[in-house]
Amino acid sequence: MPINYILKRLGYGLLLMLGVVVLNFFLIRLAPGDPAVVIAGEMGGATEEMLESIREEYGLNKPLLTQLWIYVSSVAQGDLGESFFFNQPVSKLIALRIGPTILLVIVAQILSIVIGVFLGVLAARKPNGIMSAFVSVFATIGYAVPVFWTGIMLIILFASTFPIFPVEGMQSVKLRDANIFIRSLDITHHLVLPAFTLAIIYLAQYARLSRASMLEVLGADYIRTARAKGASERSVLFKHALRNAALPILTIAGLQFGNLISGALLVETVYNWPGMGRLAFDSILRRDYPTIMGVLFFASAMVVIANLITDLSYRLADPRLRGKS
Amino acid sequence: MSDLEKTLRAQSPMAEAWRMFRRNIPAMFGLIILIMIILTTLYGAFVFTGDPYEIVWAPHEPPLLTPEFPLGTDYLGRDIIAGLLTGGAPTLAVGASAAIITMVIGITLGAFAGYYGGWVDTLLMRITEFFQVLPALLFAMVLVTLFSPSLITIAIAIGVVSWPQTARLTRAEFLRIKELEYVTAARAIGAQNGLIMWRVIIPNAAPPLIVSATLTVGVAILFEAGLSFLGLGDPNKMSWGLMIGMNREYILDAWWPVTFPGLAIFLTVFSVSLVGDGLNDAFNPKLRER
Amino acid sequence: MKHLTKLVCASAIAMSSVASSLWADGGTLVIASTQVPRHLNGAVQSGIATAVPSTQIFASPLRYDENWNPQPYLASSWDVAADGKTVTLNLVQNATFHDGTPVTSEDVAFSIMTVKENHPFKSMFAPVDTIDTPDAHTVVINLSQPHPALLLALSPALAPVLPKHVYGDGQDPKSHPANSAPIGSGPFMLEEFTPGEAIVMKKNPNFFIDGRPKLDEIIVRIIKDPSALLIAMENQEADMYPFMAGSQEIRRLEKADHLGITNEGYAAVGPINWLAFNTASPKLSDVRVRQAIAYAVDRDFITKALHRGTSQVQRGPIIESSPFFDASIPAYDVDLDKANALMAEAGYGDGMELTVDYIPGPKEQQQSVAEYLKSQLKKIGINVTVRAAPDFPTWAGRVGGHDFELSMDVVFNWGDPVIGVHRTYLSSNIRKGVIWSNTQQYSNASVDDLLNAAAVEMDPAKRADLYAQFQQQVAADVPVYWINSLPYHTAYDKRLTNLPTGIWGTMHPMDMVEWSE
Repeated sequence: MPINYILKRLGYGLLLMLGVVVLNFFLIRLAPGDPAVVIAGEMGGATEEMLESIREEYGLNKPLLTQLWIYVSSVAQGDLGESFFFNQPVSKLIALRIGPTILLVIVAQILSIVIGVFLGVLAARKPNGIMSAFVSVFATIGYAVPVFWTGIMLIILFASTFPIFPVEGMQSVKLRDANIFIRSLDITHHLVLPAFTLAIIYLAQYARLSRASMLEVLGADYIRTARAKGASERSVLFKHALRNAALPILTIAGLQFGNLISGALLVETVYNWPGMGRLAFDSILRRDYPTIMGVLFFASAMVVIANLITDLSYRLADPRLRGKS
Repeated sequence: MSDLEKTLRAQSPMAEAWRMFRRNIPAMFGLIILIMIILTTLYGAFVFTGDPYEIVWAPHEPPLLTPEFPLGTDYLGRDIIAGLLTGGAPTLAVGASAAIITMVIGITLGAFAGYYGGWVDTLLMRITEFFQVLPALLFAMVLVTLFSPSLITIAIAIGVVSWPQTARLTRAEFLRIKELEYVTAARAIGAQNGLIMWRVIIPNAAPPLIVSATLTVGVAILFEAGLSFLGLGDPNKMSWGLMIGMNREYILDAWWPVTFPGLAIFLTVFSVSLVGDGLNDAFNPKLRER
Repeated sequence: MKHLTKLVCASAIAMSSVASSLWADGGTLVIASTQVPRHLNGAVQSGIATAVPSTQIFASPLRYDENWNPQPYLASSWDVAADGKTVTLNLVQNATFHDGTPVTSEDVAFSIMTVKENHPFKSMFAPVDTIDTPDAHTVVINLSQPHPALLLALSPALAPVLPKHVYGDGQDPKSHPANSAPIGSGPFMLEEFTPGEAIVMKKNPNFFIDGRPKLDEIIVRIIKDPSALLIAMENQEADMYPFMAGSQEIRRLEKADHLGITNEGYAAVGPINWLAFNTASPKLSDVRVRQAIAYAVDRDFITKALHRGTSQVQRGPIIESSPFFDASIPAYDVDLDKANALMAEAGYGDGMELTVDYIPGPKEQQQSVAEYLKSQLKKIGINVTVRAAPDFPTWAGRVGGHDFELSMDVVFNWGDPVIGVHRTYLSSNIRKGVIWSNTQQYSNASVDDLLNAAAVEMDPAKRADLYAQFQQQVAADVPVYWINSLPYHTAYDKRLTNLPTGIWGTMHPMDMVEWSE
């Protein structure tokens, strides 16, 4: 794996992030309204002196380009500024929330890929069978249902009718002091509904995609050879065909990451999941610009990293591309 | 159309596609539902005189209990049916305009990138990648908050975050088509770049672009619903997403104000994607595996 | 099914090798809240969200019981001079901050001045001139004028005693890092503060009052979604839910067997839901128009139908549960004929257009009433447009910036009228850009005189009389039409005893609350 290539991609990723930072900065400055008034409003009202001292403290008086330079250099050092609402650094607020979001997103991604591919493979076995039709219909339905609506419907179902899953939050506050095993169980218990809600949309896509991909692959020569050699159907499906059909799935998985984060935002809001998405939403409602910018930055960084990983694993998986730079 | 253009244009794929489409049951089903939804929305927008904001009855009246309000009322006592009928218009209008904005930006940029190649391509692709890195919903939320929610800002925000995919598709099509014989022929005859791009390549790239357009409409509708649900929609235009968002805190007492608008959104996007799938299959008979 | 979950959870707890603090001596109290505090220092921030945790962590000179009587807290005794211009506090000897440093008069003096300079409620300590500290446990407050509200201002929610050795380092107290990691001398110490999520406070083993606090731990759990909060209460994920105001919440939790509901503990808060008039706008500058609207609005409908009987009617600027309330003020009971007559008299017989704003968020008190106004005011010829704001800062910007005609609003009395009432009606408090100032731009010199006189009147009877006159005057002028008091209730697990039902409710040290089993 040529190091040059990795470095080049990393460098390019950093350039993208720089672009995001600059864009954020200018966007927020374009916002109507005086940030000092917003901050003061959160305190319960302010006098003119208070407003001036706020402006001093947050550097709102300096010329625009100076503020930009200060912001960019702070971000480079890991300082994303201080929240207008909470008395805390944005990076700390995000650090507290990033774990739950990553947990939710990764579990949802795994669920959707595993179940989706499984369904797709089953459907590909009998292209005209019931399973195949079911996958088609399910794929379209799963894609068309608004994710927040699914979440709400599930909450209604599981809150009163079948209260077997918690419908809110990530952990039971009363189990705070329990040992790590109990707490992990508790978190998993809370994770079920949000992860499934988020997974359903993409599950449908992967099912359809893997079915199409498998169908293409199943017609190939090497499959006929494997069958002729007496390999079991299961071996043919999962060992030979799937491996080659995996590539497009991998590509899509990487590209979908950005959408997954958007979906996570809605799911976190519906289920009160303490992640970055909910922080973003709450901050937008409070006009807490530094935090909004911080979350945008982090979310974009996550997408860049996911793209990088996808790109690298794509090259690893496809032997044809390995030699190139 | 001049003789030149008639000669340059390949056999029209349109008529053939429509014939294939007509035979596709799910696609026709989707088309019928979509037409019904559009008709209902038009009715709601231009003929229906009820006001979804008017308090007409007691709050949280369950469905099927009162004949005048078969779908019940919401937390303020407003008619759910009035909301459903009038909610379609902003949803569809935003969905359609956002899709148009997406297509316009995406096709233009993708066309230039694919046709001219070189530094134009590289530059445009870098810009595209940049916009793809920003998480769509989050960025759209920021835009809408900054510039105050209204149908126009929402449509623009959705358009701004959705065009990268269209641009890539257009570019891929252009790359593929510009090597084909009739394009080389056109150049040989001395046709201008503009003519080639817009009159020759685009019509032949039309099938996948049309399919993409329908999918974009579906995505845009879901987007608008999401924004309205979060409270960032236009508060003066009752939309289905807004209904869900406003009634969310009462779901323990009343499930219907949230369920019916959600079904409406689902049916709309469902029918749009069935049509899109149908078009996709119709334009690509080779891929039609069942 | 619900029982199955509980069984599983209970077994999980039992299986856990660490005995959860649930079963330890004092136990854990989980309080559910929809409010998000910015930080935990009530000296520089107003509002319920900060006050609930701040009053557990910080002690104050005085505390209050259910009958508005001041009780000793950090001050074991106090004395108000005959002329009312000097107040002496004698502090307890054994109080220490959570880091072991003793609480001295310097800390108290420093804290009062900090509140005076940084807290948005300027009137609380405005008359404080200087504070002397003749010895480590004596505080002498010198006032520029008599200030009967002072003793109430020394409540836990309004005068937390900050450690001077932490806050005296020159940093701005409003943004001091200690605000999120506070050190106080109250019954509970901060263990963990996760912004927007939870506040975990543990028992202070060296609390200066023996035998208290009874609880081992108080956790404030923030759940903004009302449905989720209700489920948490029903499933015993949370034990107490104060400041519950939604009628559907109240009705629903009333049905829970293990929960009790009380509306006590909010006497000092005095939360009033009202319709504000921008009296500087041409259409509303005529008092007859305002009175017409007052006659058109039906408080009974709002409280009994819209709020399903959970809220109480409020007829004036001072909360009806306050000793100062004057019940004889004109109430503007609904009378559409009179309303129409007044509109005609004012020259608006043909009707007018008005916009009404409301605070986004919980709908029942704000948006519902705004929508009701739309349909009700149509009957007197006013065409109302309800203007929604996407978020609180937008609404606050509009109203604070005087860019409104009608607006719904909620404003608290905060105990003494000087603290929370004066700010709405004094012409000196017309401050553009500041929310919850005199945003109505109401100016009446006689009202200013009455309020200023009442602020310095030490004799309770005379003071009550001045406030009575004040209420009569503003009731006639209607710069604001008072509709109802917010129906704050607390839902609590029935096994809790010594509930916080004093005048400040949960914005008060909960050192006596305990589990009865």
